[in-house]
Amino acid sequence: MLKINSNYGCILLIFFLCFITDGWANDEYEIVTHSGVNETVLSTNSLRAIFSMHLKSWQNGEMIKVYVLPDDSPLHKKFAKEKLNVFPYQLRNAWDRLVFSGTGQAPNVVHSSNEMLSAVASTPGSIGYLEINYINDDLNVLKIK
Amino acid sequence: MYLRLNNRANCYISFLIKFVIILNIGVVQAQKQDDNPTNANIATSASDWFDKLTSPYNLQIHGFASQAFISTSDNNFFGNTNDDGSFGFTEAGLNASLQPLSRLQLSVQVLSRRAGHGSSGIPRLDFGFADYRMFSHEANQFGIRVGRWKNPFGFYNDTRDVAFTRPSIILPQSIYFDRTRNIALSSDGVQLYGESSHSRFGSASVQFGVASPIVGNKDTESSFLGGHQEGNLTPDVSYIGRGLYETNDKRIRLAVSGIWLNMGYDPSANDVLESGAIQFAPIFFSAQYNTERWSLTSEYAIRHSKFKNFNNPVLDSLDFFGESFYFQGVYRFSPKWEGVLRYDVLFTDRKDKSGKKFAAASGRPAHSRFAKDITVGLRWNVTHAFMLRTEYHYVNGTAWLSTLDNPNTSNTRQHWNLFAIQASYRF
Repeated sequence: MLKINSNYGCILLIFFLCFITDGWANDEYEIVTHSGVNETVLSTNSLRAIFSMHLKSWQNGEMIKVYVLPDDSPLHKKFAKEKLNVFPYQLRNAWDRLVFSGTGQAPNVVHSSNEMLSAVASTPGSIGYLEINYINDDLNVLKIK
Repeated sequence: MYLRLNNRANCYISFLIKFVIILNIGVVQAQKQDDNPTNANIATSASDWFDKLTSPYNLQIHGFASQAFISTSDNNFFGNTNDDGSFGFTEAGLNASLQPLSRLQLSVQVLSRRAGHGSSGIPRLDFGFADYRMFSHEANQFGIRVGRWKNPFGFYNDTRDVAFTRPSIILPQSIYFDRTRNIALSSDGVQLYGESSHSRFGSASVQFGVASPIVGNKDTESSFLGGHQEGNLTPDVSYIGRGLYETNDKRIRLAVSGIWLNMGYDPSANDVLESGAIQFAPIFFSAQYNTERWSLTSEYAIRHSKFKNFNNPVLDSLDFFGESFYFQGVYRFSPKWEGVLRYDVLFTDRKDKSGKKFAAASGRPAHSRFAKDITVGLRWNVTHAFMLRTEYHYVNGTAWLSTLDNPNTSNTRQHWNLFAIQASYRF
């Protein structure tokens, strides 16, 4: 009786593991850039400067074009918290201050991962973030150290 | 549903603006249609064409429009509010920014504001400047701004007329006087700025400007000189600066700002006043603590005012320090709903907080020298672009009331209430 129970337990556990790792796979994302961007590694500090719209050009002088999902998108929230360590409302407040004081510009907002893919793949100098199952060879993946 | 509608409305408005610009450039719309006969949607093709034309220069157009209803139990604020209330508070702005080079940004904003006798609604240039980034390496930036820029002081002055960026319909008046707002808004001059961030210690930014203040305004004149005068205030070289520190998670934000404002007085032919000078030097300390749900903010200001050479014993003896501060808590129930609670205090002269000495000397009410405002408010972000909110103020004192809206100070009431609702749209 005990044995059957533990067998069932194992099966359930394996099933559960499959399920949650599958979930993880879908939740995983990377920072992506246009294929023409030379940078392959970026410091967290520079990443923060880019997404707070303060750093405006790559090292070769090319203009950086920032793409983000809407403030309430789950991936945007995750990205803001995990990579930048801020809440989406803080990013929005900072962007609003730039736009309405004229001291900066707002990032471009795309409304889906498909839109993110096509925008970053086709815009020179662009940077965004994307779930790994959307990433293809048209994009570069940036390592953040 | 809301979001979709809102996106559509956004597209429509941004298209409208683009369309107007296209018409101005004088391009024949039909030509594009011929190029792309399969595209039946003129709107999309014109918009795409515009995007292609402007995208190398990163043109962005943004704007906002807000309308409020304000009702007061006594005294007038932003119009004739103490009878049945008033829809007299309207703000609208349109801005464009262009980044023709990665190091260069051009920005301009036109603002219309209607609020009592002080602001008529006539559009004015709010800012218009060129920003050149002289040095940029990773998270360190240094640059220069030339033109008319927003005065960098406190947490809110740079965007004070954009309802979305304010914690309440009416900003804490002890720090952000709307009575003398025109001089506080923007300046014409040169500004240097620097930003630096460190992976562990956070980021620091500094702005410093040399400018000519914008003084040609009757509200400013009436506040500084106590009523309408024959002559005019004239701008002298003034200085403004702000240093801001933020932790990397923006949990803690600290700022110190200072202004050294110099004005002259140009008397008219038969003026009783002579060509005097006014020095106004406020220093601001700002602190904010942010969590996912809470933002706790406090700002303190001490303001030195000094008058000389007016050949008027009352004016020339003016040399005093004013003091203000507020504590404010914003609580986000959800991304859509937030509440605000604030206590805001102003003393015109910190050596005469009750105003009694002033009352004895001038015969004007003592309560015109202080104001203590308790505010409670609620904000609903209906969509990303549309916001509704309401607030209630209980005020003890009348120090920040406009004398243009309340010409006879002896008719003002010391204890009064203010209720306001506001709708705001942005894109």
